[in-house]
Formats: sequence, structure tokens, C-alpha cells
Amino acid sequence: MSLARKRILIAKPGLDGHDVGAKVIALALRDAGADVIYTGLRRTPDYIVRIAVEEDVDMLGLSILSGSHKELVEDVIAKLREADAGDIKVFVGGTIPVEDHEALLKAGVCGVFTSEMKIDSVIGAIDRELAEG
Amino acid sequence: MTDPFPRRAIARELSRVVNAPVGDVLAEIGDASTASARRIGITGPPGGGKSTLISALAAHRLEKNRDRTVAVLAIDPTSPLSGGSILGDRIRMDAIADLPRLFIRSVPSRGARNGLCDNVVDLMTTLERHRFEEILLETVGIGQAEIDVRELVDTVVLVVPPDAGDSVQAMKAGIIEIADIFVVTKSENPAARQMAAEIRGIVGARKSASPPAVVMTAANGSGIAELSDAIDAHHHARDNGDTAERRRHYHLKALIGREIDAVLSGNGEMARGDLRSSYNRLLQHLRRY
Ligand SMILES: Nc1nc2c(ncn2[C@@H]2O[C@H](COP(=O)(O)OP(=O)(O)O)[C@@H](O)[C@H]2O)c(=O)[nH]1
Ligand SMILES: [Mg+2]
Repeated sequence: MSLARKRILIAKPGLDGHDVGAKVIALALRDAGADVIYTGLRRTPDYIVRIAVEEDVDMLGLSILSGSHKELVEDVIAKLREADAGDIKVFVGGTIPVEDHEALLKAGVCGVFTSEMKIDSVIGAIDRELAEG
Repeated sequence: MTDPFPRRAIARELSRVVNAPVGDVLAEIGDASTASARRIGITGPPGGGKSTLISALAAHRLEKNRDRTVAVLAIDPTSPLSGGSILGDRIRMDAIADLPRLFIRSVPSRGARNGLCDNVVDLMTTLERHRFEEILLETVGIGQAEIDVRELVDTVVLVVPPDAGDSVQAMKAGIIEIADIFVVTKSENPAARQMAAEIRGIVGARKSASPPAVVMTAANGSGIAELSDAIDAHHHARDNGDTAERRRHYHLKALIGREIDAVLSGNGEMARGDLRSSYNRLLQHLRRY
């Protein structure tokens, strides 16, 4: 399994107060063999980036339900680059309207996973993305 | 924020070391001098309050000595079913996660069954190469299997939550031998004082120089200064003369152990036949390496 020995950070930036989705993803990734770090609710981009750097994760998943996904994603990606960690792949999950997906992909995320998606296909997509290296 | 150490580079080095076969580890840290950090082990049952305690302790020690650099290695168990893990210790270390002179790393236990992870000693050496002055090591569990931590650190702090009846049993069974300091956590629980008294009773009867039992509450920080002072007192009182040698022995044994694991799991023939010829075959194989 290609998720073995992969380190993945699941983070919740912004102000929304639900992390059921983030926890479901975290557990599914663990069950697929990954080492998963979870931040807890309401983290700032600075905080998330520092953890991503310290933990040297292969991938960072941002779970956002608050609607401010564009700003948060751009901020996190810019700060990753500043920290010389622009190679860490970023995906976004949560309630993200379809019309915003394109812009997020342009901003540099490798995938957008909405709450309607089946968990298996999310894990499969993450797996393929990490296998590409 | 300007970092007092190359955070990104250290993080990557730790990843290389944790995944590398022994030969590569030696290439990475093989020239490690005797630079040595103060190593403090925090062990105890799951949910006992170890991560919460480390957060308060690191904050206190960084505050008290502002030139100090501190690294935290927090080991969490790997699921034997999937080989994956949830590394959850960091959530409890929120309050300190942005301190500049601090570095926190979460580590999965992988195959190790002793509450540690196979190459934790390589990780510590890597941190020491970057001149961290203190390393706080969080390990999982309580029982005979964790006695290894004794070999790895200067001071062992055993965390005991007030409701841990099985910890008391374990202490009676001998785990007290490994603890230098006891901490009863969650002391707003009325059972905490009694637990501390019970520990003092067990320990006092067993050891000549009784290790201290500190009672602490994470919520208001009470007990943290006392614990920090007890750690310093233990460090100054112990005989540090053979530390470097003992650590080197442990490190060599750990490296050889991994080499043996690699040979045995990669070659089914190795363990065939009678014991003596398997042993000789294994030795020969290791020599060739
Ligand atoms: N009431 C109370 N709860 C605590 C205290 N210290 C830790 N906890 C809680 O105990 C639980 C486990 O703590 P944690 O530090 O993760 O334990 P660990 O598994 O030993 O690392 C968490 O919910 C903490 O908030 C304390 O002093 N008082
Ligand atoms: Mg913990």
C-alpha cells in the first residue's frame, strides 16, 4: 500500500466549529496505512504551516466549512513557499462550491474533496497523488 | 519569525533517519560527536496526561532559561492492523506550538513493542547534532516492556493519573525501579492526594533514596515548577560519569538489532536448521555487510 510511511497533516483553519469530516478522513487515512497528525479546530495558517514543516509531512489536508476557503488556501500555500516547503502537497475538503474548484486548483491544491464524495474515492485520490511523488 | 535553528532541514533529516536502513543512518549521523542533550523521558498509561504535562513543562523550562532549546519527541502507537497511526499528542501542546526555541516531532511506534520506536535513539542523536539542549521523550504505556526507556534518558518521569489502579499494581510489580520522579496528574480529582500517598508508601518501602512524587494540575499549572526543579535536582544528584558510554552501548545494540531484523525478515533460509548453524549463518551474513 502506498500510504504506508506517508505522513499526512489534517488541519482545520478558519472559524467553523465542526471537525467530524476532518476526523473521518484522518481515521480513513490511518486505516489505509498513513501516519496522520490532526491539529484540532480553528488554527491559523502560520500555526498549520509550522506544524507541516516540523512534522515534515508529505501532504497537508485543509478541512474548511466556513466559506473562506479561497483566502485560507492562498494564505497557507504562500506561507508554505516562504518556509521553503512549497513541495508539500495540499488538498482541500469540506463544503466547497463547484464553481470555486478551478480557482483552488489554480492556487496550487492537488485536489478538492467535497463532503458528497465517497471516502474510499477520496483516499484513492490521495493515494494516487502521493504515488506520483 | 527568525528561527534559532534550521527547522525545515532538521525536520527532513529526521524523516531520512527514521526511514533509512542502518547503512544510511550511519552515513547521516555516523560521525556524531559526543554532543549530548539532557534527555527526559515521560511515560505512563494512555490518557494519563503525558502530552499535557510536556506542554506545561516545556513552556516552564523555556521561560526559565531563555537561551535553552528544547525538542519534544512524542511517540504514539501504530495500529497493528493497518500499519498506520493517529499522532495525537500535538493537540495537547497547542499552547507552546509557536515558541521559537522549541521543536516538536510526532513519531509512530511502528513495529516496536516497548513503547518506543525502533530508531528513537537515532532521532535523538540527530537532534543532539543540532545542539538541542533538552529532549523530552513521550512514550506509551506502563509495564515491564517500557523499561527500555531507562536506558535511553537521564531522568524518567512516570505519570500516574489518580484513577489508575492498574498503575499501582504495575508499580508493586516492579516498574517503580525505572521511575526517578512520579507525577500524579489531574490533581483536582480528590483521589489524587491519596494516590500520591499510596505511591510514596510503595516507593518508600522499596527504594533507599525515595524518588519524589509530585502532584500537579494541568489546568492551573500547579506542580509544574516543583516537577521542573525535581528534574534538575535528579540530574545534579545522579552520577553522570558513564552516561556517554551507556548511551553508546544502547545505540550500538539498537543498530545491530535492526540489522538482524532486516536479515531475518528478508531471508527465510536464515532461521532454518539447527540453532547453532542458524546462528553461525546469521553472524556470517552480518559480517559480510
Ligand atoms: N482534569 C484534568 N484533565 C487533564 C489534566 N491533564 C490532562 N488532562 C486531560 O486528560 C486527557 C489525556 O491527556 P493527554 O495529555 O493527551 O494524555 P496522554 O495520553 O498521557 O498524553 C485529555 O483530555 C487532557 O485534557 C489535568 O491536570 N486535569
Ligand atoms: Mg500523549
